[in-house]
Amino acid sequence: MNRSLLRANVIIAAALLAGIALPRLVAADLPKAETILDKYIEVTGGKAAYQKLHSQILSGIFEMSAAGIKGSVTSYRMEPDLAYTEIVLEGIGKITDGSDGKVAWANSAMQGPHVKEGAERAQAMQTTRFNGELHWRETYKTAETTGVEAVDGKDCYKVVLTPAEGPAVTHFYDKDSGLLTKMSLITQTPMGEVPADSFPSDYRKEGDILLPHKVRQSVAGQEFTITIDTVKLNPEIPKSRFDLPDEIKALVNKK
Amino acid sequence: MQLRLAALALLLSGALPSPAQPALTPAQRQLNIDSFEMVWQTVRDKHWDPKLGGLDWQAIHDELRPKVEKAATLDEARAVMSDMLDRLKQTHFGIVPGEAYREMGAITADADSGPRDGSPGIDARVIDSHVLVTSVEPDSPAAAAGVKPGWEILRIDGKDLAPGLAKIRDSLSSQPTLLDLLQAHAVTNRLSGQIGKSVELQFLDGRDKKVSVKLTRARPRGQLALFGNLPPVHFWVESRTVKPNIGYVRFNLFFEPDSLIAAFQQAVQACQTCDGFIVDLRGNPGGIGGLATGVAGWFTDKQGQRLGSMFLRGATIKFAVFPRAEPFRGPLAILVDGCSASTSEVFAGGLKDLGRARIIGTRTAGAALPSVFTRLPDGDGFQYAVANYISEGGQALEGFGVTPDQEVKLTRPQLLEGQDPVLDAAVSWIEKQKK
Repeated sequence: MNRSLLRANVIIAAALLAGIALPRLVAADLPKAETILDKYIEVTGGKAAYQKLHSQILSGIFEMSAAGIKGSVTSYRMEPDLAYTEIVLEGIGKITDGSDGKVAWANSAMQGPHVKEGAERAQAMQTTRFNGELHWRETYKTAETTGVEAVDGKDCYKVVLTPAEGPAVTHFYDKDSGLLTKMSLITQTPMGEVPADSFPSDYRKEGDILLPHKVRQSVAGQEFTITIDTVKLNPEIPKSRFDLPDEIKALVNKK
Repeated sequence: MQLRLAALALLLSGALPSPAQPALTPAQRQLNIDSFEMVWQTVRDKHWDPKLGGLDWQAIHDELRPKVEKAATLDEARAVMSDMLDRLKQTHFGIVPGEAYREMGAITADADSGPRDGSPGIDARVIDSHVLVTSVEPDSPAAAAGVKPGWEILRIDGKDLAPGLAKIRDSLSSQPTLLDLLQAHAVTNRLSGQIGKSVELQFLDGRDKKVSVKLTRARPRGQLALFGNLPPVHFWVESRTVKPNIGYVRFNLFFEPDSLIAAFQQAVQACQTCDGFIVDLRGNPGGIGGLATGVAGWFTDKQGQRLGSMFLRGATIKFAVFPRAEPFRGPLAILVDGCSASTSEVFAGGLKDLGRARIIGTRTAGAALPSVFTRLPDGDGFQYAVANYISEGGQALEGFGVTPDQEVKLTRPQLLEGQDPVLDAAVSWIEKQKK
C-alpha cells in the first residue's frame, strides 16, 4: 500500500478538524532490519515480481465511519516517482495529491492548492517512489530493529527507518507471516507535525504480488478506512495524468 | 450542529427551575455513580490537555466520589458532577439536566411534530431586549405579507417572547458573549417548523402599531447540503458588487466547499481592480473548520501564514493558509455580529490577527471549540470539548469572541429606514483607504 494515500488523509484530518504500545520484548538477538525488510519483499511476491511492475492503479472506498463521511479513492502510480491520488467525498469535494517527480503538491476545494517544500516535500518524495519496498536502502540511511510489539494481538518486529531528511518511520512486521501490519510516522504538513498510524490488512494476491486491500488509519484522533476493490497492475497510464494541475502550475510559476 | 445543541442546552440548563425530587432508589443511585465515573473518565481520556492544567484529577475523583454516592437526589448528584467539571475552569464542559432536553423537545415540537426545515423567511436579532427583524428574504412568505426590517416581533403563536428571553439573559451572566447567539436561536426555533404549516406572529410595525400576520412556512433559501452524519441543512452564498466598485460575498454556513470556493473564485477574479472587498459573516454559525483557511487563501499572497492553532490530545493542528495564485490584495472588511460563531470566528479572528482585515460589527459569540454531547446513564446530557483553539495573536476565542476593530450596532430606526449601518461602515472605511 503506498503511503501517499495516508498523506491525503492527514490533510482531511487537519481540515475537519494512537497510542504506541510500549515495547514488551527486546531481545539481544533480534533479526537485522534488512532481513525483515527483505523477507517482506519475499513473502509479498519476491524481487523479480516487483521488478516486473512499472505502473499501478488502485481504486476503492474511503470512509470515516464515525463522522458518516464516505467517498471514492483512486491512486495512480508510475515509475520512477510519479503519483496522483484523488479522493472525492460527499460534502467535502475533491482532494488531490501528487508528484511529477520534481514538484510534490496537494489541492482541494476546501483548502486550495499547495506546493510542498522542505521536510514536507522530502517526506512526500520518499513515499511516492515506485516500488519503494525494493529501494528502501536508497530511501533510508539507517534501518534498525528495535524490539517486538503486539499489533492487533500478533507479535511484530518493530523496525525504525530513518531517512536522510525528515523524521523516522516505524514499520511493524508480523513475526510469523513477515507481512507489514502497521506504520507509524510523524507526518510533515503545513498544519504541523501530525502523528499518523496506518494498519494494512486483508492481504490478497494481485498478479504475482500480495497487496493489502484494507488500510485503517488513525490521524490526529480521527479514524479512516480505505478499502481497495480494484487493482490494475501495469496499466497504460498517459504521462499527462501526472502533469501539474493548472492551479499548481500557477503557484510554481509565481516562485 | 453541535453549536445549535450547545446553545439550546445552555439555554435550558440555566432557565429551568428544578422541581422537588423524591429520594433515589438504589438503582437510580447507581446510575448517578455510573454517570459520575463516565464524566470523570471522559475528561481524563479525551481532554486535549492530558495534564488537565495541573489538576490532580485522581484526587478530585477520590474527593467527590463519596459525595455522589451519598447524594440523596438527582440534583445533588448533578451538582457534584458539575463541581468536578467546574474545577477545569473551561467552557463547553457541563451537565445538562435530562428535563432540559425534554423541555427542548417541547419547545421545538409545540407547533407541529414533523420535520422543522420550513421558514417564514425572517432573520431576527435581539437588540436591546427587543426582537427585531433584521432582514426578510425576497420572495419569502414574510416578504409577500409585507413584513419589513425593523419590525419588532412581540409574540409567536400566541406566546410572548420577552419572558423566555429574559430567562436566557439571566442564565448567561457567566458567558455574556453567547447571549446574542442563544437568544437568536430561541427566536429561530419558534419561527421554524414544518413546511406548509403556518405560524402566527404579532409585530410592532414601523408606525409602532401592533399587527398580526399569519405566515405559511416555506422551503428555506438555498440548496440542501449534506455532510456526514449531520442532518441536511440549507446552504446559500450570494455575491455582488456594492457601491460600484467593492466586492461583497455573504453565505450562511462554511459548508459545500465546491460551491463556496467557486463563489469566492468568481467574485475575486471579477474584482481584481476593486477598491475593496467585504465578507459578510453576520449570522454565520460556522461549519467545516478547514474552510476558514480555504477562504482566507483568496485574500493573502503571503506564504506561511496561519489563522491560529487547534490543540488536540497528541496533536496540534495549525490552520495554515495556502494563498491562491491570484488572491485579492486590496482592503478587506469582515462583517460580524453576536451570531457569528465557530469557523466564522476562526476566519475573522485569524485575519484580524494577521493584520489583513478590518472587523466591523459587534463582538462574535466566543463559541469556537468543537464539543461533543453524550447521554449519561442517569439520563442527563454531558457536553465536553475535544480541542482548544488559540488564534494567531495568542488569544483564546472561546468565551471571548472576536472584538471588532470598529463596533457598529444595528438600531431599529436605521432598519426601518432600510439602512445597513454595518455595511455602510465597511464601505466608508474602504473608500477612505483609496485616499
